[in-house]
Amino acid sequence: MPIGYFSLILHAHLPFVRHPEYPEFLEEDWLYEAITEVYLPLIFIFQHLHEVGASPRIAMNVSPPLCEMLADPLLQERYTKHLENLLELAQKEQLRTRKEAKQFTEAAKMYVENLSMSLHLWNDRYGRNLVNAFRELQDEGVLEIITCCATHGFLPLISTEESRRAQVQVAVTNYKKHFGRQPRGIWLPECAYEPGVEHLLKAAGIEYFIVDTHAILYGDPRPRFGVHAPVSCDNGVAVFARDVETSRQVWSDVVGYPGHPLYREFYRDIGWDAPIEFVGPHLHADGTRRHLGLKYHRITGKGVPLHAKLPYRPKLARAKAAENAGHFIQERIAQAHKLRKTFEGRPPLVVAPYDAELYGHWWFEGPQFLDFFFRQLHFDQDEIAPATPGDFLDSGLPIQVQQPAGSSWGENGYYMVWLNDKNAWMYPYQHDAERKMTEIANRFADQNPRFKAQGSGSTSNLEAGTLDFELQVRITNQLARELLLAQSSDWAFQIHKGTTVEYAARRFRSHIHRFDLLHEMLNKSYAFKLSESGTTEAVTLTPGELTLLKEIESRDTIFPEIDQRVYGS
Amino acid sequence: MAKKPRKDSSEIRVIEFVLDELEPVSSAETSRSRKVEQRGAGFQDDLESVSSVDAAAAPEPAVEIGNEMGSAVLRQLELPKLPLFEKQDRARLQVQSPNRVYFYWSLKTNPFQALSRTLSAGSAGYTLALRLLDTQTEREEILAVEPEGSYWFNTDAGRTYRAEIGLYSPSRPFVRILFSNTVTTPRKSPSSRAASQSEWRITSHKFAEVLDVTGFEQDAFDVVLAGDDTERVDELTYAALTQLLDEREYARANIAPEDIRLAMVALASGRTLEELRWKIGPALFTILQAHAEHVDSEKAAAALSEVFDIDQSELEEEDYGPAVGTSLVNFPRKYYRGYSPLSSHITR
Repeated sequence: MPIGYFSLILHAHLPFVRHPEYPEFLEEDWLYEAITEVYLPLIFIFQHLHEVGASPRIAMNVSPPLCEMLADPLLQERYTKHLENLLELAQKEQLRTRKEAKQFTEAAKMYVENLSMSLHLWNDRYGRNLVNAFRELQDEGVLEIITCCATHGFLPLISTEESRRAQVQVAVTNYKKHFGRQPRGIWLPECAYEPGVEHLLKAAGIEYFIVDTHAILYGDPRPRFGVHAPVSCDNGVAVFARDVETSRQVWSDVVGYPGHPLYREFYRDIGWDAPIEFVGPHLHADGTRRHLGLKYHRITGKGVPLHAKLPYRPKLARAKAAENAGHFIQERIAQAHKLRKTFEGRPPLVVAPYDAELYGHWWFEGPQFLDFFFRQLHFDQDEIAPATPGDFLDSGLPIQVQQPAGSSWGENGYYMVWLNDKNAWMYPYQHDAERKMTEIANRFADQNPRFKAQGSGSTSNLEAGTLDFELQVRITNQLARELLLAQSSDWAFQIHKGTTVEYAARRFRSHIHRFDLLHEMLNKSYAFKLSESGTTEAVTLTPGELTLLKEIESRDTIFPEIDQRVYGS
Repeated sequence: MAKKPRKDSSEIRVIEFVLDELEPVSSAETSRSRKVEQRGAGFQDDLESVSSVDAAAAPEPAVEIGNEMGSAVLRQLELPKLPLFEKQDRARLQVQSPNRVYFYWSLKTNPFQALSRTLSAGSAGYTLALRLLDTQTEREEILAVEPEGSYWFNTDAGRTYRAEIGLYSPSRPFVRILFSNTVTTPRKSPSSRAASQSEWRITSHKFAEVLDVTGFEQDAFDVVLAGDDTERVDELTYAALTQLLDEREYARANIAPEDIRLAMVALASGRTLEELRWKIGPALFTILQAHAEHVDSEKAAAALSEVFDIDQSELEEEDYGPAVGTSLVNFPRKYYRGYSPLSSHITR
């Protein structure tokens, strides 16, 4: 019988970045880097842990935009080229370092091995679609995959109930499409909670959600077991909160494991270090230097300038990851003893959520750490057992009823990162679009009562109307996509953080602009025009409008299954 | 943009206007142009500047559409622009944190024309105003504003607010034109209420222990300090603030004792008064600001030590820095590195 439970929760999310209008696009690298450095290594490790009988249990959010990108044929094709290009570079590097830079040979060899394995997994094992891999791991009992809001919309800053509901409902529908079942849990974007959100979740069949520590600690009444047991909202939806200690140990830049001098340095990259003649063939056509993912240096020490970093030694780093994993387990055992004493014998549950991209992208050895952690957890001790939130709910242990407090896991614990002097300008535009979307959905339903009567099924099951009716459906569904994409919390985050500010602002402007163009199209050129006799007179789109609609549809392809009726009030 | 003609005008009556009767605002429609940072060329050989990689430029459009219509569509999409604001009544209040809310508004029509039709000569002397109302206490803050704009308010934690746009005159009822959604600011400290069911009930002392093992030492301190004799501790808290202010009197109304303790501990740990802006309620911040020359770390520590017998060594701040990578995940600060609910002076 374990003395405590440990619940690792990984949040895998990237905003929907797909630019078919360009042959190459810098920001698409976010996905490609994450596939190479995070998703493929984690999938490989989780599968292997399962095969050796280590029985890991992990809750993982694979966000709807990420699922949509992983399943997208264009991005799959582009990633294949990206990976092949990287492997080719690594192979050249292996030869070069043998002759010219032996201190880097071990790392170069590692890259060739890793990338070769990645290419094999990508092409042969998972058919270029990693949703298959995640689904398989869930079916094998390794992962409990949870959903997220449709486009990672920050719920407390969305102005209408209908728009909040759509973020949840569209996500659940998308989850069912990709994973063939109902999700049990949801990762609230940025762990942002506001009292009342639980009602939307309950209506969508969600059993639990994740919040930050103080949501429960500051909840009412006082939580008997702090954050080391879930609480339940009045309506029965369970709430699991982040444990601070495990967050600091892995994530803190000051005291966290990833800062160890032996680990790989993130900011030295061959894309910047190598002569342009050498690296040029592997850059985009414009020749702009960028991170390519082959990095040969270790952190070396705090404050050591980039030019003074020492060579990376994979074997030493791997040994350190094993050591850190052992330390992490010992700390969990000590923590469980301490908590159990405080809780008068009740076994605590430690919930440890992290961005998945920490493991492999920011902390290169992170996947190895998890590999060692779960092996040691299974084979070397029996005091701590892994459990997902769903496992805990299934245990039938009683849960305290509480009203959690409004909160997020962002800086200072509330909504400041997503609403501040730099990004407050976005919200009036977003809120206008939210209001208009529900007006349109309601008007559409009023004017097409048969359509309304069919509930929220797929439009493909509709009794076919006129061409104009089909165009109405297309335009309104595309409006919903543009609104959802504009609501992505990533844009406000990046604008606040100061990274890729222009891209984030442009994306927000683009989706609001496209929403506006489509809204205008619907209002002026086409729809719902009444003739003098009072019957609906179909007015078709101009050729220019039709071209515009097609172009927007071809760019923002997220959620082909979307049904704008979700916005109706 | 916003001026403060006066605050706390009590007993203001409210008249509602029917907006359809009002004439359009002639100059309220403004487009919002925002200066957006340009990405640099992104070509960097200097290793010291490698972290600027995120600022690399996006490639130029490469898609060619062979006809005029296609090109026009492409151009339209390549130059995304925000729409001009339609003339609309907007009044949206948003929570940023327990101590800060954001309000934006716009008016579809000119309220003064309808006012003059209704009150004729009596319409003189009214100002377009923004009122933030604490719906529980009826406490309010009033500002003169333009027909369109935005404003940040300093608020108290755990309170319910509504913002209103209307016409204000010192001696007359407030004429409400628009009102916002209602928001409740989040708590920023533990609830004082234990569960009623015995299975989940927890004493203050035990709850402090739970907070302590969770890494919320500051809240543990506050919970154990308040204990079950809240009145006595609140009196001590106000006394500590009086001492910090060199025995100057201040109005206690609207100042939560836990806010005072938070502020004094933060000051004693080396935080500046400016760093407390938006982190404590408006009434307390105003008092501290008015007596800024008396407010410093040493005096805050001395007051805490004298009134609460807190050892100076317990007031060290521990900072865990940012998260690895680009995440801005929150790590609560520890103000009480040496503090333990079971061994601290405060519990003896």
